[in-house]
Amino acid sequence: MAVFTDVVCPFCGCLCDDLEITVKGNEIKGAKNACAISRSKFMSHRENRIMTPTVKGKEASLEEAVEAAAKALASAKRPLVYGLSSTECGAIARCVELAEITGGVVDNTSSVCHGPTILALQQVGESKASLGEVKNRADLVAFWGSNPPAAHIRHFARYSVTPKGLYVPEGRKGRYVVNVDVRETPTSRVADQFIKVDHGGDFELLLALRAAVRGTEITEDVSGVPAEEINALAKRMKEAKMGIVFFGLGLTQSDGRHMNIDAAVGLVAELNHHTKFVLTPMRGHYNVAGANTVTTWQSGYPYAVDFARGYPRYNPGEYSAVDMLAKGEPDAAIIVASDPAATFPADAAKHLARIPTITLEQKVTPTTMLSEVVIPVATAGIEVEGTAYRMDGFSLRLSKVVEPHGGVKSDREVLDMIVERVKALKEDA
Amino acid sequence: MKELMLTPKKLPDLPLEAEAITPDSVAGKTLKEVKSLPVYVGNTVQKLGDYFDVKGETAETPSDQLVAIQGECGNVKYIGAGMTAGRLIVEGCVGMHAGAEMEGGELSITGSASNWAGAEMKGGLLRIQGDAGHQLGAAYRGSPEGMTGGVIVVGGDVGLEAGAFMRRGMLIIQGDADSFLGVHMNGGEIFVFGNVARRLGAEAKGNGGFIACFGGVESILPTYVYDTTFRPDFLKLYLRQLRDQLGVEAAGEYLDASFRRYRGDIAVGGTAEILIAEP
Ligand code: SF4
Repeated sequence: MAVFTDVVCPFCGCLCDDLEITVKGNEIKGAKNACAISRSKFMSHRENRIMTPTVKGKEASLEEAVEAAAKALASAKRPLVYGLSSTECGAIARCVELAEITGGVVDNTSSVCHGPTILALQQVGESKASLGEVKNRADLVAFWGSNPPAAHIRHFARYSVTPKGLYVPEGRKGRYVVNVDVRETPTSRVADQFIKVDHGGDFELLLALRAAVRGTEITEDVSGVPAEEINALAKRMKEAKMGIVFFGLGLTQSDGRHMNIDAAVGLVAELNHHTKFVLTPMRGHYNVAGANTVTTWQSGYPYAVDFARGYPRYNPGEYSAVDMLAKGEPDAAIIVASDPAATFPADAAKHLARIPTITLEQKVTPTTMLSEVVIPVATAGIEVEGTAYRMDGFSLRLSKVVEPHGGVKSDREVLDMIVERVKALKEDA
Repeated sequence: MKELMLTPKKLPDLPLEAEAITPDSVAGKTLKEVKSLPVYVGNTVQKLGDYFDVKGETAETPSDQLVAIQGECGNVKYIGAGMTAGRLIVEGCVGMHAGAEMEGGELSITGSASNWAGAEMKGGLLRIQGDAGHQLGAAYRGSPEGMTGGVIVVGGDVGLEAGAFMRRGMLIIQGDADSFLGVHMNGGEIFVFGNVARRLGAEAKGNGGFIACFGGVESILPTYVYDTTFRPDFLKLYLRQLRDQLGVEAAGEYLDASFRRYRGDIAVGGTAEILIAEP
């Protein structure tokens, strides 16, 4: 029996790094400190696994599958590389390289979740802090359009609400927790104050709050929130020693999208004239922040990057996977660590079935079912080492606790093989 | 002016990127050279002549060059992008980025334009008789300034974020404007004769910039403050010019209108003006 300590959990953007995984004979027997989601993922990681590569539904050797993948990608005029957010950074780097050598587009799942956040941050900047700082200093914590108990289960306990910090020694009692949302959620029940905002009214409320922070007294209700409440919250935010806004898809995917974040960033920037205030997106997939980071350090842009002209160009809406697929542009696609067939709008997903789609995946998914080439891979963070970025942009090392099930290769190794074959095919051509 | 005629042949299924279609890139070239100007389809480089019949004459300099495209180019991107002089007329629709970053001359489109038309325009005149997509005349992502000069006249409706981060120049919309018109505006002038959706002028700093609305607005942000109703003389002068110089007939109807003035966006300490014509 072997016990691995300080294991980083590869399941959500919290990247909890205190797991204790017990292994006996290459089988995971226990996952201490893990939340319910994490535990079930660790314990069931061997279930429903794809065991052999397939090409057009027929079993194939790894080499045959790689060859089929490389041929489809090398001959494509508009190849798409998509996914990336649930694997380690080394594999992500290969994805960017693959897009570059094929003259294709590389996009990651942030284009359908926190893409608007990135647009806003590029537009107006960002004031950020590590989750450790939040734990040790934040005495005002706002959850805006986010509900950690649903998707980031240990967030409250490890980083934001209950932990005792260096300058917040009383823990929960030392923090004022605000929740802004269109409806009550488990987060509002934990919060000291719940502010119910009208559907699609976040933008106006953020602007009004910012004006109040600037010293303008708000005299009318905004988006269903009473004026006194807005003025009082602005005052409380200014008086905090350190404040943080954690925002989620309630803000990025509601009416206004990136402009909501733009307004939130503006509010936080304004508050920094009075005190220390930061904001952090509640990133979902555990390494979606890594997908943005790696893509940026390789191409200069975080997602929706087009290499068709030989140099990187960036334009979400034009080069984002959903939009390109809906318009029927890609003539080949490779999907790494993602399931777009389950998450994309129907017209976009349908196009994947029309073109040669290559999928690297552990388990059977709607995307593998419509793929021409399926290559099974090892699970990063359980069967392969690597690096991942937490929601606050902090990088952590993922561990390998067991050998890959069925001896399959990692995303990175398979991508290396594909990259090598594509290069050779391109040279021959 | 010498006229060069381009007629689309069979266009590809993938978008065609054709920044080669400007008076600047054809002037001073032979027809043969024009036909072999590069255009891009996916990751391939092709020739302009593969997709367009090229006839007519080329001029010595761009300012003497008229380029006329007859036919639908809805899937052709970057038509007229970066042009500095001359005239370019499209009888039909155009794809994304038409007239983006143009600096001078006139680009005239009889149909509709897709997203990012006139993005970051610096000078010249862009006319779109039909509708325009999203981000008309806007700043590209991450860029601090949108239009810094020039005039855009749209006959129909425009999408989201028209005139975003506008610094200077004019935007005239004869139809309706969708949300976030003139967001982050920091100078420049916007006129809308149709309806304006909510959140116009959001986070606008002002700098002399205004949005004049003649056909009503859905709502005004809580961070804009009403201050007066008046008949501004300067607007009368502007409206006359719009009618007489640019052929915006509707402008003539509001010469004597009075306007409610709102100032904001106070969320950013802005002094931009939203002027709404009294019915
Ligand atoms: S909160 Fe997230 S990172 Fe932490 S254990 Fe649960 S799934 Fe893993």
